Amino acid sequence: MSTDQSPSKDEQPTHDHDHEDADGPGYPTPAAMRTESEREKTAYVMALRVGMETDGKDFVGVVDLDPESETYSELIDTVEMPNKGDELHHFGWNACSSSCHAEGLARQYLVVPGQRSSRIHIIDAEDPRDPEIVTVIEPEEVFEYDLSAPHTVHCVPDGKIVISMLGNADGELPGGFLQLDQEDFTIDGRWENDTGEWEGMHYDYWYQPRHDVLVSTEWAAPNTYYPGFDLEDVEAGNYGDSIHIWDWSEKRHEQTLEFGEEGRIPLEVRMSHNPEETQGYVGAGLSSNIIHFYETDDGTWDWDVVIEEKAREHDDWDMPVPSLVTDTLLSLDDQYLFYSNWLHGNLRMYDVSDMGNPRLVDTIWAGGLFGDRQEVQGTNIRGSPQMLQLSRDGRRLYWTTSLFSSWDNQFFPEIAEEGSVMLKADVYPDEGRMELDEEFLVDFGDAPGSPARAHEIRWPGGDCTSDVWR
Amino acid sequence: MTACDDPGHVVELRDADGAVDSLQIPPGESIVDAAESAGIDLPYGCLYGACGTCTARLLEGRCRHLEPPRALKDDVLEDGYVLACVATPETDCTLRVGHDIQAEAIGTPWR
Repeated sequence: MSTDQSPSKDEQPTHDHDHEDADGPGYPTPAAMRTESEREKTAYVMALRVGMETDGKDFVGVVDLDPESETYSELIDTVEMPNKGDELHHFGWNACSSSCHAEGLARQYLVVPGQRSSRIHIIDAEDPRDPEIVTVIEPEEVFEYDLSAPHTVHCVPDGKIVISMLGNADGELPGGFLQLDQEDFTIDGRWENDTGEWEGMHYDYWYQPRHDVLVSTEWAAPNTYYPGFDLEDVEAGNYGDSIHIWDWSEKRHEQTLEFGEEGRIPLEVRMSHNPEETQGYVGAGLSSNIIHFYETDDGTWDWDVVIEEKAREHDDWDMPVPSLVTDTLLSLDDQYLFYSNWLHGNLRMYDVSDMGNPRLVDTIWAGGLFGDRQEVQGTNIRGSPQMLQLSRDGRRLYWTTSLFSSWDNQFFPEIAEEGSVMLKADVYPDEGRMELDEEFLVDFGDAPGSPARAHEIRWPGGDCTSDVWR
Repeated sequence: MTACDDPGHVVELRDADGAVDSLQIPPGESIVDAAESAGIDLPYGCLYGACGTCTARLLEGRCRHLEPPRALKDDVLEDGYVLACVATPETDCTLRVGHDIQAEAIGTPWR
């Protein structure tokens, strides 16, 4: 089987949830993806130049991860965007393992939104090493649906792609969900039917079709978080503190889990990969807590704080510095949780085989305000651990160090001059530990043209944050 | 003078190194649009006044926002910051521009 691609139709293993003829993209189970795929040899990395000292267009970076290659650990290609000012951030596939029933559909196209521009790019990645832009949805087309600020992209069964949209056409609340056609990438309209008590604050989402549930999180209105982080906005209640439970098939808001002080700015939501499970984690950025949420016996959902990161005193700061939990990730076997503390400068590995009782097994410090280590290969770690991606087999963890252009410029302004970096750790799941790989460094300061900020990472063939199982 | 004859206003853009670009901006055109046409690089993002990437500091003269400057709070506007993507000059103006003015305008809350 080719390393970078899902199994071909001939090689597609069969599976038994009532459709032996399943013939679509992806893998029948999370375990199949973990064990039957090979090592990742290519990474796609969102790379942006918004708010950089040297102006330029954003690009999708292609990074060589094949240790046998002469260009291993290098940025080998860039797909430059047609316009300036997009702020590429998160991205997704036209199809994943959730489309396992969709005969003839391939994981071929990347859906790459501009967070600030609201422009959506479709990139054909049929040849993993030679991706190219094939379609652009212009901002005006998106604004027609009174939506802006595209964020999370998931393909969903029944031929659609659903994108969380954080604002209306003025960059204010309410946001919503934009639905695209999976084949021709035209805008299909809005996903949601009934928003109930939801006030339209939005960020990330995950869904579990087997349990008919979607869970969405909250950052803030675009015109609040776009310009930078202002404590006044926290005090004014302009930042989120809740997550939302939606009825997946009815597309209806059902329940709000309000965390208050314990869950300010709940960002990435990661549910168990095992489609039997009805639980997950959300990292509350500002409160710097990991919150476990789960379905209860009566069908409603509940939550507990299961990990708390303590704020730390810093000589240059007037108040204790929160760790700022910005990304979380679950291994495909749901055994380990990784998360980044962007201000403090570390990433943690927890044994979560009992999800309600996570156990810390290891920490890597690299960059940030408190990291002992501030260099790799003599290069300054500009920024701190942020967006994470884990190899499918759970043995290599990669990360980038930029958060968001305007927030970078407040907290790690050196990124604007020299770009951010991509780093890697080797993970030993059998021993419950990880180790920084000092041989690996991709310096986005050396990007062709001018330095860039590196953000979300994906592998061709699917990864720990792209695929959902039915 | 009719609107057609109005040549607009001269805007000077100064960056952090003191380098100055000067351009004539016709009535009603945004500073970012005029700079793009003149081949001058200015930072920008959303292009409708929500994101603040294009925040500039007005040093002399007067500007008007063509769209509500949603990215800037009242106190920041009072301090003379403008959004170049939706601002047009009403007089000859001098502006300080650059990627770092957004962070300067909002401040770093804890440092």
